[in-house]
Amino acid sequence: MTMLDVQSRGQALIRAARAQQRTALDEAAGKSLLAIYGVRVPQTRVVSAQSSDFSEAVATACASMQGPWVLKVMSATILHKSDVGGVRLGLCSVAEVSAAISTMLQSPEIKAHVIDGFLIEEMAPAGQEWVVGGWRDPQFGPLVMVGLGGIFIEVLKDVAFRLCPISQLDAEDMISELKAAALLTGVRGQPPASAQALIAVLLQVGGEQGLLMQQADAVMEMDINPLMVTADAAVAVDARFILG
Amino acid sequence: MTIIDEFMPLFAPRTIAVYGASAKNHALPNVFIRRIQEFGYRGAIYPIHPTASEINGLPAYPSLADTPQPVDYAYIGISAPLIPPILAAAQGRLRFAQVVASGFAEIESGEGLQAQLAQAARAGGMRLLGPNCLGTYSPRGQLTFTEISPRDVGTVGIVSQSGGIGTDVIRRGMARGVKFSGLVTLGNSADVTPADLLEFYLADPQTRVIGLYIESGQQGRRLFELLRQAKATKPVVILKGGRTQQGLIAAASHTGSLAGDDRVWVALARQTGSILVESLDQFVDTLLLFQAVEPRPERPTREVVLFGNGGGTSVLATDAYARLGLAVTRFAPPLIAALNDLHLPPGTSLTNPIDCPVGTFQQDDGRVAEKILELIYDQGQPEAVVMHLNMSAFGGRSKPEVLDNLVDAALRVQQRYPGQAHFILVLRADGEPSLEARKRAFRERALALGLPVYDEMTPAGGALAALSALELFRNRRLCQ
Repeated sequence: MTMLDVQSRGQALIRAARAQQRTALDEAAGKSLLAIYGVRVPQTRVVSAQSSDFSEAVATACASMQGPWVLKVMSATILHKSDVGGVRLGLCSVAEVSAAISTMLQSPEIKAHVIDGFLIEEMAPAGQEWVVGGWRDPQFGPLVMVGLGGIFIEVLKDVAFRLCPISQLDAEDMISELKAAALLTGVRGQPPASAQALIAVLLQVGGEQGLLMQQADAVMEMDINPLMVTADAAVAVDARFILG
Repeated sequence: MTIIDEFMPLFAPRTIAVYGASAKNHALPNVFIRRIQEFGYRGAIYPIHPTASEINGLPAYPSLADTPQPVDYAYIGISAPLIPPILAAAQGRLRFAQVVASGFAEIESGEGLQAQLAQAARAGGMRLLGPNCLGTYSPRGQLTFTEISPRDVGTVGIVSQSGGIGTDVIRRGMARGVKFSGLVTLGNSADVTPADLLEFYLADPQTRVIGLYIESGQQGRRLFELLRQAKATKPVVILKGGRTQQGLIAAASHTGSLAGDDRVWVALARQTGSILVESLDQFVDTLLLFQAVEPRPERPTREVVLFGNGGGTSVLATDAYARLGLAVTRFAPPLIAALNDLHLPPGTSLTNPIDCPVGTFQQDDGRVAEKILELIYDQGQPEAVVMHLNMSAFGGRSKPEVLDNLVDAALRVQQRYPGQAHFILVLRADGEPSLEARKRAFRERALALGLPVYDEMTPAGGALAALSALELFRNRRLCQ
């Protein structure tokens, strides 16, 4: 795939979302966009919420992926899926997935929203939760951010920003200026996480040919939260893109 | 046209027009005329006045169209609403218009007038400086706007979006020995922006160090691109006003809510090797060091030797320097042994920090410093030496030449080991008038020798840490 292919495929994906009057990419589209730029994402299937009998679609989806699975509700109006019970982890059979969908459809907190569908994904391997994000400053253009994810990002704000495009050295500097950098090497028996994999994602997102540079006109904000970083890989488990 | 060709008429104007000078001779533009005359400006000065035939003893002209020669630089000291029509009618006969007046975008209702002003400048074919600024100081062109401005042409180029800060930088810089290649106040920057002048200073052979006082993020992207391409070849020191961490409330993402103005400037500095400082004092301190020393990317500064009188001062400085990422490390045993063999008086500590009581420094009228430093340079390979003299302790007890001899001795060693160590002098005093006078005289002599002089240990350390950061940046980016 040439650079241009990457850029035009990304643009096509964003155009499609805009054609549906969306101001944000849904999770599946967001992950597809990341995948175009080489960021690893879990295997993902979307099951429509329209069909009253979704069990066949669930069976087809699950058959094409390795369990256990994650189920997530897709809705443009639900900002924090887990807060409304819209995320279920570790589902081990088609029956469990189908039952979880039924439960979500009956939940008052979820019913209140327009449901676009359900995302069924392979579970990402456990690892350290990091965040890689993007922000378009009105004067400076796109910036890329990295920090430790989960509750830490909100409480400690231990994050590093750089203006795009970043180089390999910039990405290394970003990580080394974080207090959390030490966690990557494994502290007190905690498993290490791959700095190299994290740097690779930073470059795929914020590098010269990265997502934020190539789609600067369209992407106003983005979060990969969490980016699950293991000893040898980084997988984008959730992705949010705000267009504008 | 290169950026140098474009901006040289600002830094060395052959002709200057002045709007707003009165026949009665006491308006600010009259003062401007007197100041550039006193400053030695040799080009033609054209006061522009609708009726007067003579102003400040110079022939006046009714409009820009009537001046004998086209005008490189116009100082425009008339009130805001009168200016746009004048600029719009310039017909390419004016290169730079500096608009001093306020009442533009800095006030709520002034946006429209500022847009009109910028439009008029384009229509008239000139570049616009300001509005809401004070002027331009360019010793190479004998152009100035301040009451006191040094004539020496230096290597430090400044852009300031505040006129007051610009004046402060000139005056404080002068007191500290900073010499300028230019200083332009830009105020609201309706046309010429800090990025334009950064581009000029980066290309200008006279400028070796650049300082920016910036309040707006205007043309931020271009500023970043210029700094990125320059790869820190010239040190750039940035003082950013308004670095508020006002969380971006409207942001929908974590990233957006964490991205404040402050983060952007920190990011910009880190990835371009620019130095972001927090205060006017730090700005001048840092410019002074970069003016005086050549960065040494192949051996970035970390290890500092402290050499002076005052044990507690050395201890405090050691702590402060450690917090700044520098290190004051005890010498290796052979060097300590060699220093002990000098048999200096008791109370002298020779391990780094080196603490020499006044009694020790008085040995041989101060020339003892040469023996000590010679050993340190020869065996210790210091990356930087901070020589600190508490003038209060010398007061009255020693011959005046002791201080001279101490510094002369240090300089001789410094010259024998070119490129070995950055050398900084700290002259400490306590405000007592006669001591301050002596310190001032002494600082002047030190400055004449090209030594950067600081009043205290911590500011010197802050400047050294900035130098260290630049050296490390270049080391990582260029030496590989």
